[in-house]
Amino acid sequence: MSGSRLANAARTFARRIRDNPDEVLNLATRVAKSSALATLHVVNAVCVAHLFANHVGWINMVDGPSMLPTMSVSGEWVLENKMIKPQNVQRGDLVTYLSPLDPSRIVCKRVVGLPGDIICVDPTGELAPSTEHVIIPRNHVWLSGDNAAMSRDSRVYGPVSMALIKGKLVARVWPLSRITVFRNNFDYID
Amino acid sequence: MRQTWTSLRKPWRTFWDAHSTLRRALYPLIWLPTGIVFTQFFYTVKSVSGRSMQPTLNPDTSPWRDLVLFDRFSIRTLRKYERGDIVALASPIDSKLLVKRIVALGGDTVKTLPPHPDAEVRIPPGHVWVEGDEPFHSEDSNTFGPVPLALIDSKLIWIVWPQQRFGPLLTPSEPDPKAPRGPSWRLEKAAMERAQWRNSRVTTVQQRLSPPDELDTEVVV
Repeated sequence: MSGSRLANAARTFARRIRDNPDEVLNLATRVAKSSALATLHVVNAVCVAHLFANHVGWINMVDGPSMLPTMSVSGEWVLENKMIKPQNVQRGDLVTYLSPLDPSRIVCKRVVGLPGDIICVDPTGELAPSTEHVIIPRNHVWLSGDNAAMSRDSRVYGPVSMALIKGKLVARVWPLSRITVFRNNFDYID
Repeated sequence: MRQTWTSLRKPWRTFWDAHSTLRRALYPLIWLPTGIVFTQFFYTVKSVSGRSMQPTLNPDTSPWRDLVLFDRFSIRTLRKYERGDIVALASPIDSKLLVKRIVALGGDTVKTLPPHPDAEVRIPPGHVWVEGDEPFHSEDSNTFGPVPLALIDSKLIWIVWPQQRFGPLLTPSEPDPKAPRGPSWRLEKAAMERAQWRNSRVTTVQQRLSPPDELDTEVVV
């Protein structure tokens, strides 16, 4: 029953193609054009999302042991603010920056020193003698992981240029049980 | 909710229906994001100011600033950094964009020029040594030391303007000794000698790729 209906429809369609090929050609062109335009619109939307993620903010996953206990080794999502001026970061902020060792990695550490500060490179004396101090140059910051034992940071590669800083972490949004707004809890000891 | 939406949409529609010329003029703007992302990932045209790259860029004979084409694809995506490339990089000391030449890559040893305190520097892995072609009007690695690769933004591949120097940026080569020794021959010879002098100050090593370290809190994008 429905099979003969289908066959009928096919026959009608074939007749239509045979009788007015121009109309079919026009239809095909129209379909091709509109689907191409639709693809371009999708590409454009992806570009908008990319620009938003790169210049306004986005939710990203963080991974790795160097920020324990602030952030666990894996499975956490954080909201990142990209609308920052690297010149305005404060001591204690969690920032993301391009790794000075590998340009394809974006890593997250805590700001410890600002330009002009005198920093003891490594108080434990493991990576540098514990008496070695450096003055942080202009437009650089000293970054360090919260888990000093398992972190590659300014102790290894020295002060990091502010031009590498890309954003600041605002809050953890996943897992839901550990939602936190990262406040600057840096303490000054007089 | 729905009603507010329609009540907002209606005047919007009538406005655009009434101003079809305006609509047609503004329509191309919706493709702006694609254009911006294209310049971020592939190619972009910029003008070069300053004399630190003389005589390769902005030579004294030229009344204009050079307009050049930068290639971001081979830097951002392919991560190809080579000695002798002219690159745009963010200055580590004030974050402004500079145009300099890569002299040495990670692992190489470089003989430095005057402002630098040490006679020789070994470049740490993941860093490069950059210098301007005009060593006395240039703020480069001789003042701020080796720079991390992540600061490099793009690579110069083509000079667009002025017209008499339009064309790709060529690696300097020894000019034909039998050719007539006009001004262009002498320029070519000088460029070759500068390249040789630059290379003579660098002791290169074969690049070793260090295994990725897991001691980072990485932001996965």
